[in-house]
Amino acid sequence: MNAKLKIFLAINLIVIALLVYTYPHLMVAPGKLSQGHQQLATDCFACHSPFTGADANRCLVCHKPAEIGHLTTSGQVIAKSGNAIPFHQKLTTRDCIACHSEHDSIKRSQHQGQFNHALLEKELGSRCQDCHGAPKDSLHQQYTGNCSQCHNQEKWLPSIFNHNKYFVLDHEHSARCDICHEGSNFSRYTCFGCHEHTPANIRNEHLEEGIRDFDHCVQCHRSGNKHDISTEHGKNESEDD
Amino acid sequence: MTTSLWRNQIIPFSLLLSLLAAATLAGDYVLHQLNMVWVGRYLGIPGALLILLSLAYSLRKRKYLQSGKPKVWLFFHEISAWLGSLFVLIHAGIHFNAILPWLATGAMSINVISGLVGKLLLNRSRLYVQSERENFQLQGLSQSEVEQAIYWDAVTLDVMTQWRKVHIPIFVVFVVLALAHIISIFLFWGWR
Repeated sequence: MNAKLKIFLAINLIVIALLVYTYPHLMVAPGKLSQGHQQLATDCFACHSPFTGADANRCLVCHKPAEIGHLTTSGQVIAKSGNAIPFHQKLTTRDCIACHSEHDSIKRSQHQGQFNHALLEKELGSRCQDCHGAPKDSLHQQYTGNCSQCHNQEKWLPSIFNHNKYFVLDHEHSARCDICHEGSNFSRYTCFGCHEHTPANIRNEHLEEGIRDFDHCVQCHRSGNKHDISTEHGKNESEDD
Repeated sequence: MTTSLWRNQIIPFSLLLSLLAAATLAGDYVLHQLNMVWVGRYLGIPGALLILLSLAYSLRKRKYLQSGKPKVWLFFHEISAWLGSLFVLIHAGIHFNAILPWLATGAMSINVISGLVGKLLLNRSRLYVQSERENFQLQGLSQSEVEQAIYWDAVTLDVMTQWRKVHIPIFVVFVVLALAHIISIFLFWGWR
């Protein structure tokens, strides 16, 4: 390279360095800042610590944990909307970046969910309905129990619950949940919720066969098929036929 | 202007360049379909490393490296620079955010184009223009008639011979811009 070219390159690079210093929000920021933070657009180190990234301690200078959800950073009272409740006071760690990203492009390509339930205190983490309304479909509307019986906190779908593992819901057992699970208590069940099975006829049928322990129906009957009966040793009698 | 230079040299060159663009779009599309856009963010690292490795050819050419056949090093230079550029282009995505990394991407793209000109077109084009010149001379055309007949091919060739003047300075520009981008990432990004 000749000297003129080197000087030309040097001048260009100095100009770029000056532009980066003067307009960091245009030259290096990964997209626009969120609405509430736009006044910080040219002051990267208001939120970022050198070489370690956005720093929760710098967030906390303006966002006092005790006030989040109650007051704005300027001290205005926040009107309660819907089911939303302030929960930042119940976080186990102050890790703002785990859930929040303030630049446009980071939001677009974030590979984790926007909210990390693992940061909630255990007791609040089990009170899903404090923040989430029940889904409007007919299955969920009849259910008042804890969501975690069927769903985990990583993803709503797919549901972690497989009813067939306990009892196959064939066409004869396609019933409302509370027919078998009274009061939406899914830790218990009864087979006497419908007119087909009554304590008396179940008792008689089992005693005829010499079976005296018949309180826990699904221990032997895993489906509505009367030939599909597992013994207490887990062996399927129908397979022996 | 004869169309042969375009048909035989320029169009294949364009197709090879298009392959890079198509592979970039395909990579970006696959990442979006698999909901793995975040992977693109980290492809800048292997991309930059591959481009860095491609410099080994320049070191060999200037005898800073003593071992290995230059031809093998050139092949390695071409492959690693092309692949590294592909990774960097996917890394850039089609999202226009900060200006600095886009300047670096632009410089890299000019570098790739100038490199492909050097690799694919120059020697073959030089031979082609020379053979055309001889052909016209054998047909009994005067010197000025020959020069007129090959005028546009000669102009195209002259433009292409400038590739080396572009390739190395623009690489310097790319390195500085890429370094500025990398430094800004280390300065502001929280690695975890």
